[in-house]
Amino acid sequence: MVQERRILYEHLDVPDINTFEVFKQHDGYARFEKAIAEYQPEEIADMVKEAGLKGRGGAGFSTGEKWSFVPRDIEPRYLCCNADESEPGTFSNRYVLEKNPHLLIEGILICCYAMGIETTYVYIRGEFTLGKKMLDAAIKEAYEQGYLGENVRDTGLNINIYTHPGAGAYICGEETGLIESLEGKRGQPRNKPPFPAVQGVFMKPTVVQNVETLCNLPFIVGNGVEWYTQMGPTYGDARFDPPKPDPNTGTKLYCISGDVNEPGVYELDLGLTCTELIEVAGGLRGEEVKAVIPGGSSAPILTHYELDTRLDFTSLTLAKSMLGSGGIIVMNETRNIVDCLLNIMKFYAHESCGQCTPCRWGTPWVRDIVQRIADGEGRQATITRPKFGVTESGRWGDTGETEEIYEDLDLLESVANNIANVDTMTWNTICVFGIAVSWPAVSYMRKFRPEFEATIREGELITLPVAEATVPPEENYAYQQRIIPKEMADLE
Amino acid sequence: MSDEIIQIETPFQFNEENKREFDELIGRYPVKEAAMLPTLHLAQRQAGFISPAVMKYVAELLELSVMKVKDVVTFYPMFFEEPVGKYVIRICHTLPCALRDCKVVLEHLKEKLGTDVASETNLAKGTTDDGKFTLMKVECLASCDVAPVIMVNDDLYKNLTPEKVDELLENL
Ligand SMILES: Cc1cc2nc3c(=O)[nH]c(=O)nc-3n(C[C@H](O)[C@H](O)[C@H](O)COP(=O)(O)O)c2cc1C
Ligand code: SF4
Ligand code: FES
Repeated sequence: MVQERRILYEHLDVPDINTFEVFKQHDGYARFEKAIAEYQPEEIADMVKEAGLKGRGGAGFSTGEKWSFVPRDIEPRYLCCNADESEPGTFSNRYVLEKNPHLLIEGILICCYAMGIETTYVYIRGEFTLGKKMLDAAIKEAYEQGYLGENVRDTGLNINIYTHPGAGAYICGEETGLIESLEGKRGQPRNKPPFPAVQGVFMKPTVVQNVETLCNLPFIVGNGVEWYTQMGPTYGDARFDPPKPDPNTGTKLYCISGDVNEPGVYELDLGLTCTELIEVAGGLRGEEVKAVIPGGSSAPILTHYELDTRLDFTSLTLAKSMLGSGGIIVMNETRNIVDCLLNIMKFYAHESCGQCTPCRWGTPWVRDIVQRIADGEGRQATITRPKFGVTESGRWGDTGETEEIYEDLDLLESVANNIANVDTMTWNTICVFGIAVSWPAVSYMRKFRPEFEATIREGELITLPVAEATVPPEENYAYQQRIIPKEMADLE
Repeated sequence: MSDEIIQIETPFQFNEENKREFDELIGRYPVKEAAMLPTLHLAQRQAGFISPAVMKYVAELLELSVMKVKDVVTFYPMFFEEPVGKYVIRICHTLPCALRDCKVVLEHLKEKLGTDVASETNLAKGTTDDGKFTLMKVECLASCDVAPVIMVNDDLYKNLTPEKVDELLENL
């Protein structure tokens, strides 16, 4: 059985680890001391790049690469720590904030040193009152101990950290929505480019980084790149010759919820399979896995045929899903996928920020269609398509053959794909919230089409046995449709 | 005409402590507008909800138009424009909680409190007659491992069952 490897969470349950003193006894701030004593800022940035650290907040973008886009000649630069954590199914940042806030501060210090940043805002979702309180207390201690403020540890560095509360809007987790919200406006995402790295908060270069990403930094600096890259798989990206290393290094704080016996956060090397993770989380609650959402509710769903998919950035991208925030939601055989999709679509319809027409109108429309289907009023239609053949009178002509179609399912796919097209991966919206809507909508419907059809046909919610509810991979485009560059396909 | 229309609202002002906290806050940002969310949180904590008088006061503090403040207040679900109960009960109803029977807890709460669920535009709908409780549904509270969960004001309650809800309400 796969073993947990606790690194970020190693000292999480040590009593009073939230205090400076106890944290210090457990290697606390030693890694920051090492960073300033042994490395130049650019060397730290290089280490992070070499370590292959990818952002843990959702996009999975290489952190080192993101840092390299930041123009170092424009002052001031800012760091925004994304502690908005609102993706359904994700809850790992909360424990860091509530139990081990000094670890986050140390990560922030290392990032600030590497990037020459003096001001950090930690954007904490409004509901995290305890998390904010603990972090505020830890920041106060760090100021008292000379790790924050003017002339940190006599190095001449000035570093300030401020916490900033959100107010309950999911979209403020999107990096430019977060920036707008931080500036005191509605949290409506901005058009990109310019990217935040170039023009972010207060129109200055800004690094936006998730809590978990920042918490990785002390360990990369403390234990070295070689140690770090041993964890998790590194694939070869065949689009390059020779294949470019595609790292999925480090551990991930997998959040697992839903139908497992011991839901919770498990820190494991990247790259274990769904089946293994469910086993680690105390096994399935129920008889059979029906579906798994691998990366927060925005991620396309996986069926029981795909349980051997490895839960890392690359493997899930190739499976046409994503690791996202690492929130894994398991559903057993008793669950109805139409009902689950309805729940998720209600969420998105509520959270659209309302800037772009396709998202503002399309998302509630998708919700309404799913609601209609779930209520047993899904629309079916009999259509006549012109078909050339031998007619009743024995002549060549239009035979007028009719066909039963599930009108609402076609409509659902069409509306969703007009918000953001999941096959071509193009979107008609400002931010990728649009994709987060159409990904679940289309993937649930395609992969569990029999269940949707049965529900429409019978006029009530029908839960089919797992095998019948799922479209097998061989027969259907549900699994393959997303058009990926040919070179990428070779990699598979 | 009823006196509702000629109602004159009492102006709002931060108390000593909040004024001090605000003065500290404002120094954190290069522009005053950025202090909007924390200032509104402070104001709501003092006043209970963001009335027009509060918006006017915040607008003056941050040197903005009242409209701009209202623009922000209406965007964020955590700011209330109407009075709410002494205890605001937020129940999560997103997928992981739904998989753990949050519906049962919700129905129990509704029955026990004798109220419906508030909507963002009608908080009174979810507020009990004695003004003690306001019940509202919220999206994922990032505690899906201990689902179903509710928040009562600032505190989170985990792994709820109807029995636990009874116990909790009694102790409030
Ligand atoms: C709709 C939406 C919601 C998001 N919510 C969050 C969130 O709650 N927390 C987070 O860290 N990132 C979230 N992200 C991802 C951020 O935009 C951004 O990629 C991330 O904060 C970058 O940090 P990282 O590189 O360290 O992951 C969200 C993205 C989108 C499109
Ligand atoms: S896609 Fe939706 S959430 Fe994103 S900016 Fe447009 S309207 Fe707002
Ligand atoms: S779904 Fe309820 S806490 Fe996440």
